[in-house]
Amino acid sequence: MAGRHNVRNGIDKELLAEIKQKLEQGLFPQWMVTDPDIYDLEVDKIFGRTWQYLGHESELKEAGDYVTRWLMDDPVLLVKNKKGEINVFLNSCSHRGTHLCTADVGNRKTFTCPFHGWSFNTDGELIGVVAGDKVFGERLNKQDWNLHKIPRVDTYRGMIFGNLDPNAMPLEDYLGDLKWYIDLFLARSDGGMEVIGAPQRWVVNTNWKMSTENFGGDPYHVATTHKSTVELGISPKDPFYASYGHQVKLNHGHCVNVSTTGPGFSVPSYQGLPEEMWPMFERNLSKEQLEVYKQTVVIVGTCFPNLSFHCPVHGNEGHLHNYLTLRIWRPIGPDKIEIWAWFLIDKAAPEEYKMQSYKGYVASFGPSGTLEADDTEIWTRVAKASKGKMARNREMKYNNVLNYMMGMDKIEPDESWPGPGIAYPTCFVDYALRGMHEYWLELLTKEYEDEQ
Amino acid sequence: MNSEIYYEITRFLTREARLLDDRKFEEWLALFADDIVYRMPVRVTRESKDRTGKDNAMTYFEESKISLTTRVKRLRTSSAWAEDPPLHTRHFVSNIDVEDCEHPDEYKVVSYFLTKRSRGVDHEAEQIFGERHDVLRRVNGEWKIHSRTIYPDQSVLTVMNLSMFL
Ligand code: FES
Ligand SMILES: [Fe+2]
Repeated sequence: MAGRHNVRNGIDKELLAEIKQKLEQGLFPQWMVTDPDIYDLEVDKIFGRTWQYLGHESELKEAGDYVTRWLMDDPVLLVKNKKGEINVFLNSCSHRGTHLCTADVGNRKTFTCPFHGWSFNTDGELIGVVAGDKVFGERLNKQDWNLHKIPRVDTYRGMIFGNLDPNAMPLEDYLGDLKWYIDLFLARSDGGMEVIGAPQRWVVNTNWKMSTENFGGDPYHVATTHKSTVELGISPKDPFYASYGHQVKLNHGHCVNVSTTGPGFSVPSYQGLPEEMWPMFERNLSKEQLEVYKQTVVIVGTCFPNLSFHCPVHGNEGHLHNYLTLRIWRPIGPDKIEIWAWFLIDKAAPEEYKMQSYKGYVASFGPSGTLEADDTEIWTRVAKASKGKMARNREMKYNNVLNYMMGMDKIEPDESWPGPGIAYPTCFVDYALRGMHEYWLELLTKEYEDEQ
Repeated sequence: MNSEIYYEITRFLTREARLLDDRKFEEWLALFADDIVYRMPVRVTRESKDRTGKDNAMTYFEESKISLTTRVKRLRTSSAWAEDPPLHTRHFVSNIDVEDCEHPDEYKVVSYFLTKRSRGVDHEAEQIFGERHDVLRRVNGEWKIHSRTIYPDQSVLTVMNLSMFL
């Protein structure tokens, strides 16, 4: 269009400004759900610049232990070196780029490339070149050909993150106020959390924003999507049961919902964790955190863009147990994600409790989970219904906007909330998701000028 | 193990598959002993020196008779959306291998599975495949499954959920 600045693929500054206007009214244009051009922008401007979860320190125990992961489409190798440090490399040989290490997990002193036999140590240093002197002579300076490090790597309470943007803000700042909330489960017990077994992985035909939003700020869906568990008597009958508690809007698009029990449904203090663990919580958490955590039943949220966490109390065979699941919604395309779901429990929990938690997790989450199975079905339906000409109209002439207006101008923040962020006194609001959309759009729009 | 036993076990597994595809889940449940251990470990891709990747501490199913019963009951609620409208499934079972156990009426049975599912009007069927290790026992002429371990061949499942049984 004349006079309009073309950003890319027909998405320009003016269009993004229109979207901003809609978002301010609590409306999300449906055309952006699975739009390939938006996806293309997201790959660079969101996934190329934000901190991405790669794994947990407890997955790498001994020197030489490694796991392979993906940072979107970049293969990544995490390996523990002799000194016990975790190195994070692009899992691609520096010679001609082959995918170096293709197993999920293992232990190695050296990584030898199957293509021409170059080998690297656990610090990514090139230590062997087949026929090196004879074929490369003086020209090959080995140090120049080490494995490529992921530009930024940092950890927080055992969680390992990588960032492709060398100029990204520090992880500490990026997580910001979210730390206060994730500490409720990551830092509550001595020694923190540990991953049990390997992550579950499966593929769902939806857009990453659907799953990210679902964990980030949609307790509203619980009573309907998971009604089967209400019918079974596992979840309470009260349609508001997922509303009790606080939804917190945080900086950088992060979202948390901290729910408490409502009338007629009681869970013992500290998510029903064994009483012998309580002194640890009292030691490790601040006064304000304890005040909140004592009443907590479920903590669920999203670390923007695609790391979600869920620390619920869920049942198997009539017993209620607490656990933590971390997951990434790895975008594979505009309408496909690969889910990676880790199960974690406190290192310091009694062994028997760990076993029961694990069973409770498998029963309710993961692909077979009586709760999660229905989520994936619904997310798929959103993606499916958002691909047509009406839904995809960029001028929004069919009023093709989605509704994120819950609680708008109706629910005020709870000023007495002891934690950081803007906390609303119910989880049936869309404040956190609107915050997520704001940040999402900010990243898409940012550095627009630089690209001119 | 004689050919009559092999024939009975083969028929038993064929009938089991049929019950699942006909959505006769209660009858299917009745094929399991009360102390059933029903598991499906996560498949991990390992280096060849580390063998098969079948030995995992995480699973997709970790079930007892009680929890399997809960799952079946869930499918009978009015709101199990993953199966409503119902999926059309086809459980193929093949390569059945039967071995004697110490217990005279007990047999170790390994079978291959391929389950295809068609969802709604989707053009592409989802599928999952691998092998199952069962222990079958005959009590008073009736066969029961005493344990089942399901090993998928896919490290990343290409079914969007496991709302069905394997
Ligand atoms: S690509 Fe790795 S040695 Fe050539
Ligand atoms: Fe859900």
